[in-house]
Amino acid sequence: MKYLLMIYGNQEKWDSIPAEAWPEEIAKQEAFNQHYFSTGELLGAYGLGDKVTAKLVRRKDGAAALTDGPYLETKEYMASFYVLDVPSEERAYEIAAQMPWADQEPVEVWPILHESAHDA
Amino acid sequence: MSPTGIEDLLRELAPQVLGALVRRYGDFEACEDATQEALLRAATRWPADGMPANPRGWLVTVGSRALVDAWRSEAARRERERLVATPESEALARIDDRDDSLAMLFACCQPGLSEPSQVALTLRAIGGLTTAQIAAAFLVPESTMAQRISRAKKSIKDSGLSLDTPPEPDRLAAVLHVLYLIFSEGYAASGGPSLTAPSLTAEAIRLTRWLHRLLPAEAEVTGLLALMLLTDARRPARTTSEGALVPLAEQDRGRWDTGLIAEGVALVSEALPRGRVGPYQLQAAIAAVHDEAPSVTQTDWPQILALYDLLVRVVPGPIVSLNRAVAVGMVHGPAAGLAELSALAGDARLADHHRLFATRAHLRALAGDTDGAVVDFRAAAARTTSLPERRYLTARAHALRP
Repeated sequence: MKYLLMIYGNQEKWDSIPAEAWPEEIAKQEAFNQHYFSTGELLGAYGLGDKVTAKLVRRKDGAAALTDGPYLETKEYMASFYVLDVPSEERAYEIAAQMPWADQEPVEVWPILHESAHDA
Repeated sequence: MSPTGIEDLLRELAPQVLGALVRRYGDFEACEDATQEALLRAATRWPADGMPANPRGWLVTVGSRALVDAWRSEAARRERERLVATPESEALARIDDRDDSLAMLFACCQPGLSEPSQVALTLRAIGGLTTAQIAAAFLVPESTMAQRISRAKKSIKDSGLSLDTPPEPDRLAAVLHVLYLIFSEGYAASGGPSLTAPSLTAEAIRLTRWLHRLLPAEAEVTGLLALMLLTDARRPARTTSEGALVPLAEQDRGRWDTGLIAEGVALVSEALPRGRVGPYQLQAAIAAVHDEAPSVTQTDWPQILALYDLLVRVVPGPIVSLNRAVAVGMVHGPAAGLAELSALAGDARLADHHRLFATRAHLRALAGDTDGAVVDFRAAAARTTSLPERRYLTARAHALRP
């Protein structure tokens, strides 16, 4: 079963972390990623841009029409996401709890119900 | 021989070749790579050059050469020294008359490996599938599947591997569980037919047939094979042409595969009287009762309930108890089934489980409690992680309260 892990935040929260602490925090996340890539349980790890870079795209007269995003007006927004493939939800929760910041901020875990197969 | 015939033969020989190389050289990890190399070469050479007189010998020879080539690299010098230390003539004398396939299968399913690793390694080392094929079947990137296989092989190497000790009974249970997982994965697959991904149900049945030939006296192996055949027999009726799920009660039983049913029934009838009743035989016996019934109402529910009574004793668990509650409802009426369920609802493993809601919805609908059934069908639909099942449960709720 595949699971989507998401972490949320905002600029204010990230600004509160001293600049010199960032390399160590990023290294922790990278160590997490490499570890679970090597166990064959992490399929991908992706970090997103700031919310000012998010756009909402609609189709108007056959062409893309852009407005500023994100779609939901929330205090915090998605910062990064991870895709796992594990045999049980217990294992997904266990790995989510190993995310470096999981002792301070929750990780949102969703089961992925469907995936379209590539017919190569 | 046709290309498909060659492929079938190669996949049948895969575990024997691996076993012969491991017996001779000992290094499971390197021998498994060499076996794949030999299989690949045979797949390209044999159709063009014709079949060798001794296909197995050809593969072992080519595999041995591939090993030596691999060991020429600097990093593997120690392996070569170990090889030199093995008296080769003695090892060679034993090779040709032995079939170590079974030991190879037990090695792939050894404790300490995670279930996904056991499954992946079994499909590659015993099934003879490539990493790319296995990755396609499980919808994961090839690099992910390669990691699982390589870690699994490393841990086999580390824990050592014995060819001559007979496997213990709990090791056989682990092997059967892996074959069952492969079958279930294929049976649950919701995606359309893929051109590159092999059918996992077909592969699980092939491997279990093979294991049954090697261990004909093991009643649980026979039981597992029967269970797979009796389950697979319903496949033609299990989904609509649009891919929607059709539950057992509504399936067109005329589309069930009677050949598979006859074979499954014969197997389970042969295994059960031996007296070592295990969970696979019991599940196969339950499947056989369903498969032999002309309709839901004409099903021998008292017999199914008696089999579930045995099953909850052999493998107690919340899901088995849920299924038993359905049988209670069919034999003694929905109210009795619902009473069984309320006794189970206190189980923390079930409290928020979609199967609890789906089962209760079904029994409530039978009891005429439409409102309660609709609420439960919707609760079950929200909680299931299977998309076809979610669509089915939503449709049931909608049909009761359009």
